[in-house]
Amino acid sequence: MEFSIYRFNPETDTLPKMQRFTLPDDQVEPGMMLLDALLLLKEQDDSLGFRRSCQHGVCGSDGMNINGMNGLACITPLADLEAPVTLRPFPGMPVIRDLIVDMGNFWEQYRRAEPWLINDSPEPEVERKQSPDDREELDGLYECILCGCCSAACPSYWWNPDKFLGPAALLQAARFIQDSRDEATDHRLAQLDDAWKLYRCHTIMNCTQVCPKGLNPSRAIGDIRRTMLKKSL
Amino acid sequence: MRLLSGQGAWLLQRITAVYVGLFVIVTLGYFLIAPPADHAAWVAVVGHPAVALGSSLFVVLLLLHAWIGLRDVVLDYAKPLALRLTVLTLGAGALIFLGLWALYLLIRTGLA
Repeated sequence: MEFSIYRFNPETDTLPKMQRFTLPDDQVEPGMMLLDALLLLKEQDDSLGFRRSCQHGVCGSDGMNINGMNGLACITPLADLEAPVTLRPFPGMPVIRDLIVDMGNFWEQYRRAEPWLINDSPEPEVERKQSPDDREELDGLYECILCGCCSAACPSYWWNPDKFLGPAALLQAARFIQDSRDEATDHRLAQLDDAWKLYRCHTIMNCTQVCPKGLNPSRAIGDIRRTMLKKSL
Repeated sequence: MRLLSGQGAWLLQRITAVYVGLFVIVTLGYFLIAPPADHAAWVAVVGHPAVALGSSLFVVLLLLHAWIGLRDVVLDYAKPLALRLTVLTLGAGALIFLGLWALYLLIRTGLA
């Protein structure tokens, strides 16, 4: 099976290039994931750089652009990919080396969404309780693994990565706005009410299309807008 | 809620779109179903107070809609501050000119 992989080493290269790799057919096994193939290709050329950790779609480390679509290598079946499989780093993010990108700005935007529970009420003896219905409101929001596939697929994030929070951070904002135990809803909504942080989203929906966990950041952003509207009326 | 930023702009763009869309559909329907027979009939229709009011509102809301859209495009694509200010100033000037021109036409037709 043929692969075309983006290569760039800032210490030796002035420009990036695409490098051809071939995985012999006898090494391709049924049910193989793209990450398995990458690990075999790394045996051919150990200078090939990519991130990976859990290998089961939980840690979100091995996000990359696979045949033009962002995804996680570890849960992308090789059999579903058209050869030559073209692998590039996340678009719109600075490349550190090969398929490894600098996600510093992504984490900065995540921090700006204040992804933690804000509750200044006296701490209960055991836990802050939540009804099953209130807990259900968090479904589709809490499962995000912060792989970055969505934000790296969002044209608004490419254009204004320093000002627009991006779909991943906004999904987290929605998760805490929806949380019945959080007491800072007004503060969170006020923070988002400017021209940049939330409203640069033009509902392009690339985020929803690429999310490897099947989440819907676009809907979460719509829910924030609706909540904001209800609060302001 | 700030009027022309964040939620205010987003909401205003949608509200104006509804009015502008309906106005265009009604106007097109009028021309298709019962077009004015001649210029005099057309002037009479435009000069009617309800039509003049509806048309004036259409112009104002269309310009507001266009301003928010233009600002969105500029915020997305125009990075240098000088370029952003230049495009927004020229855009605002053009929209104000179009608004005044439309207002002049409506008043002139109303007085005719």
